[in-house]
Amino acid sequence: MKALAFRKASKIYRSSHLGRVTEVVGLQNLELEIEKGEVFGLLGLNGSGKTTAIKLLMGLHLPTTGEVEVLGRRMPDVEVLARIGYAPEAAYLNRSLTGRETMSLYAALSGIPASRRAARVGAILEQVGLGRAVDMRLSAYSKGMLQRASLAQALIHEPELVILDEPVTGLDPLAIKEMRAVILWLKAKGTTVLFSSHDISEVEKVCDRIGILSGGRLAKTMTQAQWRGKPDALENAFAESVKRTDGVGEIKLK
Amino acid sequence: MNTVKAVFDYTFREHVRHKVWLSAALFGLILIAGGLVASALAQDERARMLLDLGLAANEAIAMISVVFLTVHLILQEVESRAIFLILTHPVRRWHYLLGRFLGTLAAVGLGLAAMGLFHWLILFALGWTGEGSYLLAWSCSLGKTAVMGALALLLSLALTSEAAAMAFSVFFWILGHFSSEMNYIAEKSGSSFMRAAILAFSRAAPDFAHLNYRDAAAAGLPGHRWMAAALLYVVGYCAACLALSVQIFEQKEF
Repeated sequence: MKALAFRKASKIYRSSHLGRVTEVVGLQNLELEIEKGEVFGLLGLNGSGKTTAIKLLMGLHLPTTGEVEVLGRRMPDVEVLARIGYAPEAAYLNRSLTGRETMSLYAALSGIPASRRAARVGAILEQVGLGRAVDMRLSAYSKGMLQRASLAQALIHEPELVILDEPVTGLDPLAIKEMRAVILWLKAKGTTVLFSSHDISEVEKVCDRIGILSGGRLAKTMTQAQWRGKPDALENAFAESVKRTDGVGEIKLK
Repeated sequence: MNTVKAVFDYTFREHVRHKVWLSAALFGLILIAGGLVASALAQDERARMLLDLGLAANEAIAMISVVFLTVHLILQEVESRAIFLILTHPVRRWHYLLGRFLGTLAAVGLGLAAMGLFHWLILFALGWTGEGSYLLAWSCSLGKTAVMGALALLLSLALTSEAAAMAFSVFFWILGHFSSEMNYIAEKSGSSFMRAAILAFSRAAPDFAHLNYRDAAAAGLPGHRWMAAALLYVVGYCAACLALSVQIFEQKEF
């Protein structure tokens, strides 16, 4: 059973200034299927199309051509979002609310009935280690606490598919270890996990399969068997597959 | 409708936490200043002056508050990317817009109610007795506030610039008080194109003559028919602005 599929999905960003139209390729003819229960890592450099792919999955962007299917529904589809949990690369939360109010908001938006909401909010905040900060405003949270709150809102409705955009970027080593444990715990529960990352060492520890994006194209896919027990196999495959397309040159050391 | 309520709740709470109610303090200062000037007048004149000054200040402060809050309402959530997390939950975009608009209107309405109560208590202390007509005048201010909020929301989404949306809102607010003059200019215009353009512009701008309680009261106390027409105008104008806002918002990618 497929959890999600990209079918020749492309995204071209068009902008115009004084009549001059500029086109930037976000994603080009992406063909990818991810099975239910799989942990899939999307690897790539900055500007390779990882976030664009995730935004297409979440219905925040519309494909220019092709289509995107999630849990059997063609995106964008509001109803299917109730079965997906999404945590972006930074905690884009409203800082004027407390932890409890934030989770209550997302519980309500996710369709959790009012009678079960308070219990679920308390449980998820305890689970991510924010049990003692429930009534603190998010403006007083540290970066690590905000990341946990962001993770909590993604998991509050116990989704079938969890999408994490750069979940370990900027975290301290202990937090990275905890995030790894969360991903493995979700996998053990049968939840499908898709996450994007630059961090090859993290990806190889938790993924069943990976896809390497470069310049908006899927350059390579690999299964765990192709890198497990083979030092540097994933890193070498990554280095061979990617090239910079974000317009940034090399740093010259002279 | 649960999602509308959830968005309404957090919007209202957000505005209250951002101390929107402090605008009532400005109102208090205006009344105190007015009271000092009016202290030189006779009892009757004093109440009349404070009545006019209070109603005008109440309406102006509510208008400034609602325009300022609504032009930031969506654009700031887009800027801070907090909108990502809302729209990646099963929330229809029109539910989100309606909840944000109504939450803002409720917060400004609360401020308007606080200012109105304070004003009425002062008038009562001066021996003024016109409770029914005061409530009607207050309701007309609330109606104008709703109309301006809906228009400012539409302008912010159409122009995607807070400064431009604010400037246009103020322009339309001023224009809204000159609808009969606009019609007169259109009638006198020699060019049919100009006439059509002025009339189109005049129709698109709010027509506050529908909420001009004083003109209606000059011909005796306005009846139910006048009040129903005023209510219908407010609801209709707000619905039209919100419908256009939804159309624009549905096309947006984040």
